[in-house]
Amino acid sequence: MQIKEIMLKEVISVKRSTNLRQLLKIFAKFHIFPLVPVVEEDNRLVGIVSFRNLTNVFQPPRPEILKTVPFLDEEEEDIFKADFTEEIGDLVVVEDIMETKFISIQEDASLEEAFKSMKLHLKEEVPVVDKAGRLVGIVGIFDIIRQVFRQKGVIK
Amino acid sequence: MNTILGLGFILLAGLLSARLISKIKFPAVTAYLALGIIIGPALFKLVPKDILDASGLISNIVLGLIAFSIGQNFSRDNFRKIGKSVIWISVLEACGAWILVTLTFLIILKQPFYISLLFGAIASATAPAATVMVIREYRAKGNFTDTLLGVVAIDDAWCLIIFAISLAISQAIHSQILATSFLIKVFFNSIFSIFGAFVLGGVVAISLSYLSKVLRTQTELLIFTLGFVLLNIGIAIWLHLSVLLATLFLGAILVNIDKSPFKFFDSLKTIDSPLFLLFFVLAGANLEIGILPKLGLIGLTYLVFRIIGKVIGASLGARISKAPESIKRYLGLALIPQAGVALGCALIAKSDFPNVGGMIFTTIIATTVIYELFGPLCTRYALQKAGDITVEPHPS
Repeated sequence: MQIKEIMLKEVISVKRSTNLRQLLKIFAKFHIFPLVPVVEEDNRLVGIVSFRNLTNVFQPPRPEILKTVPFLDEEEEDIFKADFTEEIGDLVVVEDIMETKFISIQEDASLEEAFKSMKLHLKEEVPVVDKAGRLVGIVGIFDIIRQVFRQKGVIK
Repeated sequence: MNTILGLGFILLAGLLSARLISKIKFPAVTAYLALGIIIGPALFKLVPKDILDASGLISNIVLGLIAFSIGQNFSRDNFRKIGKSVIWISVLEACGAWILVTLTFLIILKQPFYISLLFGAIASATAPAATVMVIREYRAKGNFTDTLLGVVAIDDAWCLIIFAISLAISQAIHSQILATSFLIKVFFNSIFSIFGAFVLGGVVAISLSYLSKVLRTQTELLIFTLGFVLLNIGIAIWLHLSVLLATLFLGAILVNIDKSPFKFFDSLKTIDSPLFLLFFVLAGANLEIGILPKLGLIGLTYLVFRIIGKVIGASLGARISKAPESIKRYLGLALIPQAGVALGCALIAKSDFPNVGGMIFTTIIATTVIYELFGPLCTRYALQKAGDITVEPHPS
């Protein structure tokens, strides 16, 4: 069985230019902040925003390029002392906080492959793309587990 | 003190000293180094001999891990992103310090060529930690800051390459008494050391990427990656290839051939911090305090000409890439701190050239301490002049 048969096809995605306020508003009614795919006009997947990236807003900017630099001190984030005003809602856009190096899964991958990859990368959910790199869905570990329950007849 | 007690003591004392020094806004590496000097044989003699004897082993492993991580920079994607200015400036400031320090040691101080070359190569390194700390503390923002961050991120890669080439040449010169085939031998030894490292890094990267298909868990990933990096370092030592280049190439080739290469680099990050701490404390502990008084002129020459080399090189790079005037004038000044990579290279020089290594290493430690103390002030001055910060530090 392939991932495209069990993935969730209606995905809420955002653009690079979506600002922080809009982003928070879209997911205001969610229990937790989900994994949000970032797509171009042609639906090509270019990044993801997760809860972890949201907390980056509280830290001074740390360009991705510094990831490879050895011996940098980690900066503790104190979200209660952050000194920003409401304008940050307009100023920060998705492009500033999204991750461009992320794990995605091809739509024709098998459930076993997808499960293995998610376990290896410690991901609970990942975006699904077609051959051209366009976003076609999202799949979570729970979707795979549910499919196994279904196959065993636990649920119909 | 037994070895394990010593290790526990070093780790906890390191943690405490880093906490204390962060209050006065210095990076943790400075604290570890100072701790090493204080508890080392030069002063309080609290580091067990077994651990001191393992300095070479630990620095080889740590430098291997660093070179591997720095290799990530060589992805096509990254080069597209960082831009022309950063590449020109970083290459020329590293080469500027390398060439100028080598020449002054050779001509003014009349040191042998192989020693001058080693000093020059080590001078090309910078330490991003102190620079990044200043940028964060003052919330610096702007074109100058972006260029500076790009330069400090990439320039240790150039330093590793410069040092590896210089080391190969120095070894070849040192091992050979003047003979007719001298230059040819030097040339072939260096080419073998560098080209061999490329082939080794490539073969290991391809095997690592291919075999990683069998991995199932994070634990396996960590063990697998560490195993391959150590294998690569070990084979390089065994075949007398450049350890630094072999591991740099391993990272650089891996990042270009694997579909999701960053998992390997990220997994190693979970274990590197205690090793880094140990590395810096041991670097400090290896200071030979008896040599210190004799170093006056050498130390001073190194201190001054490394800065001049960086300033001229950075300015030239900025001119060639048509960067703004502020970058042309002040960027070199922001690149003064030196620490981890320079110390690691100096430790390698120390173990490869026992007769002069102590002098090189002690000079580098002493100058590191000085650079780490006043380097951040110069970085702040450069950022102010460039208009990227206001004078008040950020309260947090």
